[in-house]
Amino acid sequence: MPLLTVTALSKRFGGLNAVEAVDMHVDEGELVALIGPNGAGKTTLFNLLTGVTAPTSGSVTLTVDGKPVSLLNRAPYQVAKLGLARTFQNIRLFARLTVRENIQAAMTHRYHENFLATVLRLPAYYKKEALVGGWTDALLEAFDLTAVADLAAANLPYGTQRRVEIARAVATQPKLIFLDEPAAGMNPEETAALTALIQRLRSEFHLTVVLIEHDMSLVMKLAERIYVLEHGKVIAHGTPTEIQQNQAVITAYLGGGVHA
Amino acid sequence: MATKWKAALCWLALAAAGFGLINVLIGVGVIDTFIENMLVTIGINIILATGLNLIIGFSGQFSLGHAGFMALGAYATAIITSAMPTVGGFYLSVAVGIAIAMVVAVIIGIPTLRLRGDYLAIATMGAAEIIRVILNNLKITNGAAGMFNIPALAGWPTVYVMVCLTTLMIVNFARSRAGRAIQAIREDEIAAEASGIDPTKWKLAAFVMGAATAAIGGSLDAVYIQTIAPGNFGIMNSIAILIIVVLGGVGSMTGTFMAAAVLGVLDTVLQSFGALRMVIYALALIAIMVFKPSGLLGRYEVSIRAWLDRKGVNNAASNSNRAE
Repeated sequence: MPLLTVTALSKRFGGLNAVEAVDMHVDEGELVALIGPNGAGKTTLFNLLTGVTAPTSGSVTLTVDGKPVSLLNRAPYQVAKLGLARTFQNIRLFARLTVRENIQAAMTHRYHENFLATVLRLPAYYKKEALVGGWTDALLEAFDLTAVADLAAANLPYGTQRRVEIARAVATQPKLIFLDEPAAGMNPEETAALTALIQRLRSEFHLTVVLIEHDMSLVMKLAERIYVLEHGKVIAHGTPTEIQQNQAVITAYLGGGVHA
Repeated sequence: MATKWKAALCWLALAAAGFGLINVLIGVGVIDTFIENMLVTIGINIILATGLNLIIGFSGQFSLGHAGFMALGAYATAIITSAMPTVGGFYLSVAVGIAIAMVVAVIIGIPTLRLRGDYLAIATMGAAEIIRVILNNLKITNGAAGMFNIPALAGWPTVYVMVCLTTLMIVNFARSRAGRAIQAIREDEIAAEASGIDPTKWKLAAFVMGAATAAIGGSLDAVYIQTIAPGNFGIMNSIAILIIVVLGGVGSMTGTFMAAAVLGVLDTVLQSFGALRMVIYALALIAIMVFKPSGLLGRYEVSIRAWLDRKGVNNAASNSNRAE
C-alpha cells in the first residue's frame, strides 16, 4: 500500500480549475518531485494535501500504522499530527523566537505537560523539559544549527532559515515531508548543501519526501519519480529520464505549435 | 545546587524582602495610608495587566474586554461576601469569580478568537459591554447604583501575595510547552498549524488564563475599594489596563510591573495638580510612546536564572584560566 494515495483530487476557485482530477501516489521511502510552470497548481495541490484548503472533490489517503486514514476534512494541525509535515514557498519561521524555540514549538504534540506541574514548576515539569531539551539538542546537532540555537530566526541568513524550517518540519516527527521550492533564491553552494540535506532526510531520518522545485538540476539529481503539472492537470509522470524526453512536458515548458 | 533552584530561592527571598520592607516602612510611618493605597492600586493593576499581557503580548490576540472579566470577579466577591462576610467567604468568592470568568471567556472566546487584530478588539470590547449591561440590569447586582459596604477583607498583604502568585503562574505558563505553542501562533498562525499546534485551543487557553487573573484583580478591587458599580468596568477601564501593557512593552512581564508602578506613582503625584492632572498624564504617555515606541522595556525580561548562568560561565572561565 502506498504511503500517500491521491485519487481524482480537484479544486475549483470560481471558474478556475486550479487542480483537476489529480491522481498520484507516493510510496514509503520515495523521493517524488512535483514540477510544472508557474501557476500550474503545485502549491494549491500541497495546500489540499495538508488541509490548508478543502478540495472540491476527490480523496487523499495516508497510511498510518498500516491503516489507510483519509486526510479530508482535517485541519492542518491534525494532518501534521498524523505525520505529514511541510515547509513553505516563502519561508514561514516564528521570526522573533530563537531557533531552539522554533524547533520546540513543532514538538508540542509529542508530549504533554500537566498544568499544575507547569505553573508550580513541579519535578514532572523539569523532567518533561529535559526530555524535550534532549530531542531539540539532537535535532539542532543533526542540522548543524547548534551554533545559532539561541539567535532569533529572523536574524539568520537565507540558507540557514531554510535549514531551520526543514528542521522544524522534521521536529514534528513526520513520515512524509513536503518541501515547497526549498532551493528558491539560493546560490549554487547553498543549493548543493540543500541537496545533501534532502538526501540525509531520507538516509538518516527515513523520511519520504515530496518536493516542488523549479531547479531542474536539483530535481533530476534527487527525484526517483516526477509528476508534471500544467493547468492543474497531471500531464506526465515517470522517472527523470522519461520526463526529460516527454513531448508534452517539453511543450509545456518551452511552448509549442509555433514553427519558425 | 542546580541553578533553577537557586533562581527560585532568589525570587522567593526577593518577594519576602519586599514584603518585610513594606511592613517596616508602614511601621515607622514612611508609608502612610495614602501611599499604601497607591501600592495596592499598583498591585491590582499588575495582576490585571500581566493577564492581559499574556493575551496580547504572548498569544498575540488583541483583546479589549479585560474590564469585563474584572467585573465578574468583583461582583462575585461583592455578592458572596455580603452573605458571608468572612475571610473564608472572600476566598470562596475569588474561586467563584475565577470559575465564572473562565466559563464566560470560553463562551466569548470560541466565536471571537478566530477573528484577527482590530476585529477581535471590537468583538471583545462588545462582549465586555454586554457583561457590563447585564450587571447594570440585574437585581442581585443592585443595578446601576452598584454595591457598597463590601466588607474590607483584604489589605495590602493579601494583594501582595496575590501579585506574587498570579505572576508566578503566568510567567511559568508562558515559559513552558503552552507558552511555546501560543508564541508560535502569535508569530505565524499558518506555520504553527502546520507544526501540529491547534490554534483555537491554545488561543483559548491564553484567553481563559488571562480572564481568570482579571477576575482575581476584580475581587481584590471590590474588597479594597469596598464600592463597585457597573460604570467602573467600562471600555475606558479596559483601555487603562491596555495602556499599562503597551507602555511596559508588549510581551515583557517585567515591563508590565514597571509601567504599573510608574503610572501608579505618576497618578498619585499628579493628584495635587487638579485639572491639569489628566493633561500631564496624557503628555507623559505620548512622550514615552514617541521616545520608546516598543514600551519601557520592549521584550526584555529580568531573569535571575540567566544571570546565575552567566555568572556560572564566567566563574568556570576564570577558574580554568587560573588552572592554566
